[in-house]
Amino acid sequence: MSELQSHIHKVSKAIEEWLQPDNSDLKKAIDRTVEEDFFSFQDIKHQILVLKSTLRKKNLNVWADRAGLKYNSLNQKKVLCLHAGNLPLVGIQDLLSVVLTRGDYVGKVSKKDPYLLPTLLRKLIDFDLIKENRWSLNLEELVGNRMDAVLFAGSKSSAYEVRSSLKSLKIIDDHTPALMRNAHFSIALIEDNDSPTMEDLTEAVFRYGGTGCRSVAIVVAPFHLDDEKCEYTDYVESFWLKNPQHKKPEKSLFYRYAYNRALEIPQAWLNDFLIEENISNPKEKFLLFWVKGDFNTLTELVSMYRDGLQSVYSTSNHIGKEVGGFRVEPLSQAQAPPIWWKPDQIDTIEWLQKKVAHQEKNSQL
Amino acid sequence: MNNPEEAIDLIFNSSASFEERCSRVFQFQAERNPFLKRFFEPFGLKPTSNPSPKEIPLMPIRAFKDRKIVVESEGNDPELIFKSSGTSEMSRSTHYILSRQFYETAILEEFKKYFPFDEYITLFYLPGYDQNPYSSLIWMAKYLVGSDPSGESQFVSLDELTEIDSLFQSNDKKILLFGAAFGLIDLAESGKIEPIDGLEILETGGMKTHRREMDKTELRQILSDGFEVPLNKIHSEYGMCELLSQMYSIGDEWFQTPHWVRVSVRDPKNPSRICDVGEEGKIGIIDLANIYSCPYILADDRGVMNSSGRFKVLGRWNPNDLRGCNFLIDNE
Repeated sequence: MSELQSHIHKVSKAIEEWLQPDNSDLKKAIDRTVEEDFFSFQDIKHQILVLKSTLRKKNLNVWADRAGLKYNSLNQKKVLCLHAGNLPLVGIQDLLSVVLTRGDYVGKVSKKDPYLLPTLLRKLIDFDLIKENRWSLNLEELVGNRMDAVLFAGSKSSAYEVRSSLKSLKIIDDHTPALMRNAHFSIALIEDNDSPTMEDLTEAVFRYGGTGCRSVAIVVAPFHLDDEKCEYTDYVESFWLKNPQHKKPEKSLFYRYAYNRALEIPQAWLNDFLIEENISNPKEKFLLFWVKGDFNTLTELVSMYRDGLQSVYSTSNHIGKEVGGFRVEPLSQAQAPPIWWKPDQIDTIEWLQKKVAHQEKNSQL
Repeated sequence: MNNPEEAIDLIFNSSASFEERCSRVFQFQAERNPFLKRFFEPFGLKPTSNPSPKEIPLMPIRAFKDRKIVVESEGNDPELIFKSSGTSEMSRSTHYILSRQFYETAILEEFKKYFPFDEYITLFYLPGYDQNPYSSLIWMAKYLVGSDPSGESQFVSLDELTEIDSLFQSNDKKILLFGAAFGLIDLAESGKIEPIDGLEILETGGMKTHRREMDKTELRQILSDGFEVPLNKIHSEYGMCELLSQMYSIGDEWFQTPHWVRVSVRDPKNPSRICDVGEEGKIGIIDLANIYSCPYILADDRGVMNSSGRFKVLGRWNPNDLRGCNFLIDNE
């Protein structure tokens, strides 16, 4: 077994142990996360099940092959991961990218998801894959700890603020490579209203309350919303019966509904979510834009909203096609992506190896 | 209310309470403005409802971009059309004015209260605005020039401004320089203006021709330094093409409203909630002079109220709680 294979094997063993049903540390973290109302049990369970199926050794190997992973490519260079907290364990891919490249992981764990990720971090310490005392909930605790790279996801406006804060805390300087991703929504094309399609669409839109960047915010369909509204809301209600929406929208969404009525925009008000047959830059949460159209419409929308677009999904006929530089992914994988999926079209391992591996190591603690 | 004279008598009559006037305007709007009627329905409001001003939902200001907002009128064409500045029609607000008398009355009533024509000569320095033939600001400036019985108020160019002192040397009146904020800054930084005795400045906060956003405190200081005018002689106007009324802050950053306007600061996450004193939110305006378009407006400006009921404009409202992975230093 090569050194790289041994390393991947070790990572996969750590993950396997972490995901064991009798892992009391993880169980406690899940209970606490639910008790303290960070996420719903159903959303955490969904994420854990997705990770169980995607973080297998064979999948880590596929990722390593695709990314051209070389053993010890980062050679303990320090990489700071700023983890967002919009859905459970959202930062896990960044963590694993650093671990697989044998970087020195440093994490700013989200205060909105403070318990789940640390259970994996502790397991990785047990396997000697990351060092102890390498993460915090407070950025200030990392002051003066100079990094060789930063991984982060946020809006363009917050990126400036984040860089400034990191610089003022002497964590990075002007030359530190930073992978700052800002895609915040996804788009789907459906071509029929068969049950599997509508169920996949519902999962893609409503899982995690629609707050993920892989969540569908625009759907292109061959029918008007008013023609499909009654049937589609049945799918949504059925989804919500099994997965009650954890976070509720602000009251301003009701204002939007009232405003749409004034404009006579076709819409479906679902109390905790709004669907409207309309289109604008998808920034708001709990809102789905419905557009009547076909593949050409999808192409136009991808071109119009590519800035901020994470993924493009469809059903069998179009999977694998290229649309404006995006490869069409299966709709069914919107909330269950393979571990090698590329946030903002960038493979994190590839980026680390290209931008960080050959830089001189920062010797400061 | 269909008769403008009758409506003006009601709206600009300070002997009637604001609540009473607002209630009459609400009833008229709920009956005659189909757009607002549909907007009110989900809130359970009908023409027969009698909501207090606080209970009336405020329309997002982008309505003026999305639709023609006017009350039903029997074949009356608008007397005036104002459009905000912008590069494309899509991004411009359009305000259709069925009766210009409302705009004229609103302009004069409030302006004269602070800058009476027998005490002030007003000089309008508004470079760039003449490129928008639908500018409400230019219309207002022309109206004020035409309303000054002395004929001394006027539009001025940069060259004329450099000679102000000699032009008005023998005049006892104070000179009020009225201009878009950043035009005035360019002027202040040009070094071409000599200090002028008794000069006061009224800035409108316009962003045209300038490079960056700045807060009012910094803006006022630059104007004070550049024109050598004390801060208490630097005033501001808050107006927009969507509003027929203007608000003024005199010598400081706190605006006061005319008696027919009520401003509140609203929670952007729940615009029905009025923010506490000192709490930042979006500026909500009830402008009864907008009786024939939309008097209830939620602006996209950030503001804060003080305990005296005056408000400060802090800039544009930028939402930061966006969907997707969004690491925010303060929240994460």
